[in-house]
Parts: sequence; structure tokens; C-alpha cells
Amino acid sequence: MCTPNLISRKTFLKAALALAASPLLRYSPAWADSAEVSEVAPGVFVHQGRYEVQSPENRGDMANANFVVGSEGVAVIDTSGSEVMGEDLRDAVRAVTSKPIKYVINTHMHPDHVFGNAAFKQYNPTYVGHYKLARALGTRAESYITAGKEMMGEKVFAGSEIILPTMAIEEPTTLDLGDRTLLLEPMPTAHTDNDLIVTDSKTDTLFLGDLLFSVVVPTLDGSIKGWLALIDQLGQRKAARVIPGHGPQTMQLPGALEPEQRYLATVATDVRRLIAEGKTLSEATKTAGFSEKDAWKLFDQYHVRNVTAAFAELEWE
Amino acid sequence: MPRPLKTFARNFGLAALAAAALVLAMPAAYAEENMWPILRQDEFGDRPIQENDGMVVLEAPQKVEDAALVPLTVRVPPSVKGKLKSLTLFIDNNPDPKVAKLTFGPAQGTGGERNFSTRVRVDNFSHVRAVLETEDGTLHMATKFLAAAGGCAAMQAKDPDADMADIGKTIVRVFPPALESDPIWAGQVMIKHPNENGMQLDINTAKFIPARYVKEVTVKRDGELVFKLDGTFSISTNPNFRFTFGKGKANDLDVVIVDTDGAVFKGQTQPKGS
Repeated sequence: MCTPNLISRKTFLKAALALAASPLLRYSPAWADSAEVSEVAPGVFVHQGRYEVQSPENRGDMANANFVVGSEGVAVIDTSGSEVMGEDLRDAVRAVTSKPIKYVINTHMHPDHVFGNAAFKQYNPTYVGHYKLARALGTRAESYITAGKEMMGEKVFAGSEIILPTMAIEEPTTLDLGDRTLLLEPMPTAHTDNDLIVTDSKTDTLFLGDLLFSVVVPTLDGSIKGWLALIDQLGQRKAARVIPGHGPQTMQLPGALEPEQRYLATVATDVRRLIAEGKTLSEATKTAGFSEKDAWKLFDQYHVRNVTAAFAELEWE
Repeated sequence: MPRPLKTFARNFGLAALAAAALVLAMPAAYAEENMWPILRQDEFGDRPIQENDGMVVLEAPQKVEDAALVPLTVRVPPSVKGKLKSLTLFIDNNPDPKVAKLTFGPAQGTGGERNFSTRVRVDNFSHVRAVLETEDGTLHMATKFLAAAGGCAAMQAKDPDADMADIGKTIVRVFPPALESDPIWAGQVMIKHPNENGMQLDINTAKFIPARYVKEVTVKRDGELVFKLDGTFSISTNPNFRFTFGKGKANDLDVVIVDTDGAVFKGQTQPKGS
């Protein structure tokens, strides 16, 4: 296991302040360790997100946020779910290296992976994403911002903004960090229509973004058929380790994909059967996939939405 | 025409207000944003509307899971015997609150439960309403309050390229009842169509994606009108309708769909045995 190797100064100060303000507080506040990162391979750092939905207490710390340090510069891969979380991640980078932050890469459009982008503006990095990321973020910006404020509160959410990619990845592309390169590969519609995966050449670490969920129930915002097909392909890849979008810091192929594959296949099978029986979408949301309920965290928050999306897709078969 | 086209800024305020209303578990706190008197006046004038008199039942999820795809079902119980004139659906706080109006024809069927289901976009916390007009011209309303879940589910299509590639693809189905002699049968119409609301910015062109949505859906059974629906972009991408109709001879459904660009799409049930 990897152990956290630092707490940012800012977080430390906040924690100190909170303790001073509330002397009876024994348990550390929820955000006290929010900027912990672990070096999971030489120069590869992962901050593990919480198994929670966004809240004022967790400041949108939900997805894994990562960075890779090369001899010439740094690439950040996903920036967590708020500007303040992005700041903590930025502080974590700065605690490790003073090399320039050259790239901020988003593995897809979801708020818990992109709202920290704003914290890196001062370094003027190249913002990188799938070629469909800009459109996806552009059309959703309003609702993501509204939802962010609702879930985290105006105060915590302040400073968070949608920053569009300045580099669009339409085919496999290599970014140079000096002594290592990152291979960026755009994927067909699966978790979303703008999933991008990243491989670090030096350590053979594969960042799967939300194409890999562990512990937390997968969320479907693209195509269930596309995702299941892609899991088959990803399962044939070799990598020293994979980093999920949600779940532990590192996992191993192909086993890492199995629970997610089982979940999606169960949903697809149940939904197809209900469609064949002439059932409606509302009826399907009450039964499909519920055998998976105890296998996942946040099932109650996302499962019905997944069934809804799967139904609306599979009824066209 | 859609009237209260609200600004995004206003919607922000509305969300905060609605959140406060929910905390208090008191939709009444929401009253100052009440659009209904205006909508009602616009559509029905001073005609009286009976509320919750059992003539019409509206089913909506307790929690909005996906704001882009909220299933709604309207039921007219078997105790209502006569023919129906029209059914109008509203989502008070949507940019275009009048979701759809159905005008029923001679093939609508009587002698059992009549129902209609579709899926709608819900822009925010809102009342949703079904107003039924019966043959005698009286109006009956059922109302539900919808609370949005927030989070990652934006109202946008999940795979717009795939949807656009298939635009106009139509599936029409008939679900024969368990007892073939049952006077009420069920059908379904599905159309691949983005139902764009004209309010989303296309980042590549820096222009708003033009509104383009399904405006009219005409459903006939064996050549006779079941209903004609006038729709808006409050109906979800890939519009989907489940409905009842009166048993006929062949029970073949024919559907004509017209969108705001004037494109016409047609569909029909597959001939039996194919």
C-alpha cells in the first residue's frame, strides 16, 4: 500500500484554524486530508477521491485527481470538483516539484473531474481533452455551475468555473514531459461521449478516468452498449497498473474491470428483458439491476439514473 | 409561441428559492414564483378547472433522477366513461411551460382506463400539471411537484452525434391486451430527434444551436384519428409516447411527425406476421 506523503500547507492551516475555533472538536473535519496524494509509481501521484457525492464538507472531493512529474514539466490529470480542491492539488504539486505545470488534462466532462481546472490558470497550461469535450462542457456549463452551487454552497464553490480545452485530441497523441511521455487516446462513446485515457510511458501507468469505477457505482452518461464493448477491449490491454476515476489509488487489469462489467451487463440484461415484456421506463426503474444494490456505494444516488439512460438507449435495438 | 423565456440568471435565483422551499418541505414558500395563473389564463381563460376530482391522475417520479428524461404518465380511470376532448401538460417553470397538447379523435377508445405517457425535460424545481378536457367541455387537473436531484445529469443528449445520425428513425408498436376483445389497446411511438431547445451554445461555432423540435405528431388507427399532439422542446430528446386507443379491425397505427424545420417523418406498425 502507498501512504499519503503530504498534507498541503493550506489544508493544515485550515485544520489548525478549525481546531482553534472549535476546541471540542475531536474528530478531524471532513476536509482535513483532502489534498493527500500518494506516489504510486516514480513521479506518478494520485489523490484518492471520497466515496461521497459533492457537499460543502467534502468540497467536491469525489473523483481521483492525479499528476505526473517529468524532467521538463508536470501534467495534471483531472483536477477534482471545485476550485478550492484544485488549489489543494496545485499545492500538492508544488510541494513535490517546482517544474512548470505544462498540461491540465481532463479525462471527460463531469464536474467532479473538471471544476478544479481554474486553480491552474495562473500557470497558463495547455488544457487538454477529447475532441468532443469542448462541446459537451459548453452545452452543460450552466447546469453544472447551478448544480455545483446547490451541492457545495456558493462559498465553497466560489472560483470554480468551466475551462474549455485548448488542445483537442481526435487521435492518439503524445505529450512530452522530458524524460517521459504521455499517450492520450480518445475513446468512442462509453461512460460519456468524451472519454480520454492516458498512459505514462515511463511507469506503464494507465489512467482510465471514469471508464473504470470501483467501490462507487458506475454512472452512465454515454452509451451502455459502447461501454460494455470498450470494457472488452480495455480488458485485453496490459499495464503495470491502472488508476480508476473512482476507487482505490491503483488497480490491476483485467480484474479491475470485472465488477463494473458485471454491473453494466446486469443492467443491460434486465432492461432488455423488461423492454421485451413491453414494460415502461418507470416500471424498469423499480426493478432493473437491483441485484447489484449491495455491491456498490452511492447505489441509491445513481442507479435509477443509470437504468433510465440504459432503457432510453436499448429500446432502440 | 413560448412566452416566459426566462433568463439563465433568473433560473439561478429560482433554484436557490426552490431549494429553500424544499428544506422547509413547503411548496407554498415557492408561491411568489408561481407561473400558473398566467399559464392558466393564457390557455383556458376564465373557465373553471376542477382539481383532484379523480377524473385524471398524474404519475411522476418522487425525485428527478435525470432532468433530461423524466417519465410522466397521465391516467384517466375507467370510472370516467365518456370521450375525451383534450389533454394538456404543463411544467410551470420550464422555458416553454406548455409541454404538449393532445387533441383526441374518434379512435381514442372508451370502455376502460385511458392513459398517456411521455418523457420530459425538467429545467428546475417545478409543478407539473395535466389538464383534461372531457366531452362536455369541463376541465379537470392533476398536479405534482418535481424536485430535481442535481448533480451530473444535465439536460443534454448523451450522444448527440449518434442521435443526429439517425434523425427521423421511427418505431411504432402496438401492445395487444391480454384479452383481445378488450376495447382499449396500447400503442407506442418513438422518434429519433434531438428536440433541441435553442438555448445551448455550440462551442465550435460560438452560436446557439438552433431550436429544432417535434411540433406535431398525428396518430391514426386504421385511418382514424387517435390523437394529434402539439409539442414543444420540453419533451425529451428522442420523443417517446405510450398511449391507449380504441380497438379497431386491423389495429394498424400510422404516425406522421412534423418538426419545426418542416421535416416530415412517417412511421407505422409492422404488418402482422412480419
